[in-house]
Amino acid sequence: MLLANKEGIVVTGPVVNLAAPGGVATSVIVFTIPVLVGQLVGLKSVKIRKVTLHNNAAGNTTVLLGIGAVGVGIPAILPALDSLNGLTDSYNADEDFPEVESFANIVAWGAVIAAGGTITCQLEVAVIG
Amino acid sequence: MPDLYIFKAQVGMFDPVALQNHNVRIHYLQTVHYRKVDFLEGIPPFQCIDITAGLGLAAVTPSGRAIIVNLEMADNEFGLWRWYPIDDAQIRLYHPAGIAKYQLRNLQVPVDMNILFRDPNLVSTEIAVWQNNRPAAEAVNGHAFALGAVRLIAIGYRFHTVDLESGKEANPELVKAIKMGKEPCTDIWCSGRGIGD
Repeated sequence: MLLANKEGIVVTGPVVNLAAPGGVATSVIVFTIPVLVGQLVGLKSVKIRKVTLHNNAAGNTTVLLGIGAVGVGIPAILPALDSLNGLTDSYNADEDFPEVESFANIVAWGAVIAAGGTITCQLEVAVIG
Repeated sequence: MPDLYIFKAQVGMFDPVALQNHNVRIHYLQTVHYRKVDFLEGIPPFQCIDITAGLGLAAVTPSGRAIIVNLEMADNEFGLWRWYPIDDAQIRLYHPAGIAKYQLRNLQVPVDMNILFRDPNLVSTEIAVWQNNRPAAEAVNGHAFALGAVRLIAIGYRFHTVDLESGKEANPELVKAIKMGKEPCTDIWCSGRGIGD
């Protein structure tokens, strides 16, 4: 009876645009914790497995993930991830950043995003609980 | 007679301790009830509690004692449970809420996430709960950071029983035969026991 422990169910978040000019004030939700209020017992958390960033003329910059409210962003839960102008960057928990578990909605923001540019962000997470 | 007993180790879901029409002797603290199982069903793994009640647990801190109401049973029923935590705290179990489980002379043995590696069948976590008799747990966060939650997963069986000592199903001859060892009966311990008790 070796049961699933911290592995969780893998799901993806929505494709979200991080807007100019960047900074915590532009942070937006990139993954929403499943809420079971009114249904069953079961507090859910998520472990980030993968972060994919596509830089749409946003300039060379970094993207941060946090668990603050929308527009607040901090505290960050990962080191800044590089996003290179015009390129797609993909980061994996197993190699590129530590495993992080979050009990709150995850937000993201670009450090600085060039006017007219955006960074498209999508998470893959494992839902635990 | 099926080979059923408590603390059974096997691959896959563990066996129930009794089947339909099996006699059971339920021990709750110092009381004993002679009963017969007339219904049972498996209970799939489910999250039975967040010991922190959604508040999280601060660094290097023990939680208060929380009664696990979702493991309590209806009247005339007992539950058979195995369980494990999915958050990295040490769990102390109490059953009922005032009596320590896994109590040695000098240590109350805690359960942590390593139970899945060290005891994959969760044999050593097995408890039985008679009616609404209040299993409870405390969590100890040994980390230097707060935990978002301390959640427990339980899996087991639900048994409905009828009373052999009184009421319309009473059967004094059967109870006497069980007490004399002439009829099979499975003992179910539905509480911990105080040291020296």
